[in-house]
Amino acid sequence: MSAPLVMLQDVAKSFGRRLLVQNRSFTLSGINITVNRGEVVGILGESGSGKSTVANIITRLTSYDAGSYVYDGRDVSGYLKSESFGFKSKVQIVFQDPYGSLNPRVTVADSIGEGIKLHQPQLGKTGREARVRQLLDEVGLPPDCGDRYPREFSGGQRQRIAIARALAVEPELLVCDEPLSSLDVSIQAQVLELFVKLIRERHLTIVFISHDVNVVRLICDRVYVMHEGRIVEEGRAHDVLTHPQNEYTERLLAAVY
Amino acid sequence: MTVPLLELRDVTIALRGSNRRMVTGVGLSVSVGEVFGVVGESGSGKTLLTRTVFGLQDDTYLAGGTVSFAGRTLPLDGYMKAARKLLGGEVGFVPQDPYSSLNPTMRVGEQITEALYLAKRMPMNGTATRQAAIDVLGEVGIPEPELAFRQFPDQFSGGMRQRIVFAIALAQDPKLLIADEPTTALDAITQRRVIELMLDRCRTRGMAVILISHNLELLRQSVDRLAVLYGGQLHNIAETAAIGHHTIHPYTEALFDCIPSKGKTLEDIRAIRGEPAGAGFGLKGCAFASRCRYAEPICVESDLPLNSAAQNGFTACLLGRGAPQ
Repeated sequence: MSAPLVMLQDVAKSFGRRLLVQNRSFTLSGINITVNRGEVVGILGESGSGKSTVANIITRLTSYDAGSYVYDGRDVSGYLKSESFGFKSKVQIVFQDPYGSLNPRVTVADSIGEGIKLHQPQLGKTGREARVRQLLDEVGLPPDCGDRYPREFSGGQRQRIAIARALAVEPELLVCDEPLSSLDVSIQAQVLELFVKLIRERHLTIVFISHDVNVVRLICDRVYVMHEGRIVEEGRAHDVLTHPQNEYTERLLAAVY
Repeated sequence: MTVPLLELRDVTIALRGSNRRMVTGVGLSVSVGEVFGVVGESGSGKTLLTRTVFGLQDDTYLAGGTVSFAGRTLPLDGYMKAARKLLGGEVGFVPQDPYSSLNPTMRVGEQITEALYLAKRMPMNGTATRQAAIDVLGEVGIPEPELAFRQFPDQFSGGMRQRIVFAIALAQDPKLLIADEPTTALDAITQRRVIELMLDRCRTRGMAVILISHNLELLRQSVDRLAVLYGGQLHNIAETAAIGHHTIHPYTEALFDCIPSKGKTLEDIRAIRGEPAGAGFGLKGCAFASRCRYAEPICVESDLPLNSAAQNGFTACLLGRGAPQ
């Protein structure tokens, strides 16, 4: 068996009081997360549990104070500049809010193509354009909509664009931070179907951050349940979410409609 | 038959200025003490409908139909003023966001005594008023209500703030409580606690509730009857107990099919294709027809049936699906 793709060991991070509303300081501590290749790993928690911070640490969008983060056998703290650059094409993120995550002044094709331009310059303009069309088609959008702007698309379509953008650089790992939460129920189901299709066809490794117990149960192989900056339970998603061992997980499951 | 507490007949709501009809021909009635749900996706008109009916929306007006409350029909002339009179007395309102609905510069107690003064003419500084406010804070499950009385809203969490907003509404002893997505801003555990507490207190007092939500499963488990809005049209009024037992309206059915609720597998989830229609679809044809798996030509060509008699069960489906049993 190959080494895990992501290995967080005893990762901790604290935020100062000033950064947070309600004058509460917040600490993330003792975070141990392993993600193997080809796995869909869920991180489940309510707001303020620290799950987005974990997503940001995994994607290196934020730093951590203690512990270690080994990505594909190499500690990221020792990364050289070139390795940091390479990392950006290996790990991609899809954010919660598709209205805020796309640059309104850049066409959809340019948004999707930007990463390809940087990380696969050998493709050239025509190769890139062909890739963009193929990606748009793969996420269920008309392949010729690339010259339009984000404002011309609905929330669900924008989330598809964000997914296409993340897939453009052929990442090893896709981190999705609440990708369904800001969508209407009927659109959530559509985007969920898209994720299922991508997982099956591309054998993606995914870290799926969510507060939705049912979605995590349906698409994740394993799950980590977070509460107040700690991991309170982990295991196979189906087992944890049908027979929880932890008192908090139990309460969370009981509260879900 | 008893007189319904709130009755809407063919209510049409239009935008001021452009006169664009956003919500068309809604008929429904809510009886005394009933817990009534309104569900719809964003843009379905659910918030616009309730906010306009109770005079809270400035940029829309009641363009047609009648609204009666406790047997009195509100006049179309000066409707907004008449509707606003109901609020803060006979009708209580709990808005969505507990972070912006409380006055941050006023102590919690003062905000409740103010409501008692305005609704019941109780003196602001009276001992009885103070005690009534503390009682109602206790009733909504605030720990140490006497301490909370002197505190400011920012000293409370979202769930506690929503309880305070609810306490303000409850203090006025209304006949009807309107709760517009009251728990959307809250976490799952807090959400269930607040909803259960709210419905329990209302049922105890015999108050009717209109609970507006996009969370279908929450409504199914919480309310007696459910109205389904789509594209500014009323599509379905169904008893929640009946859902899942026999044919239901195609849109209601499609909504239930696409939510990943407990016990479902991936194969059970059927997404609705296409994009939701916004409010303002009008009455020519069914707004859902373009996404409906049962749709036939008649669904686009005919006018949508209205619940003009404000019956308790209703389906607007042009194919007659989901007709009350």
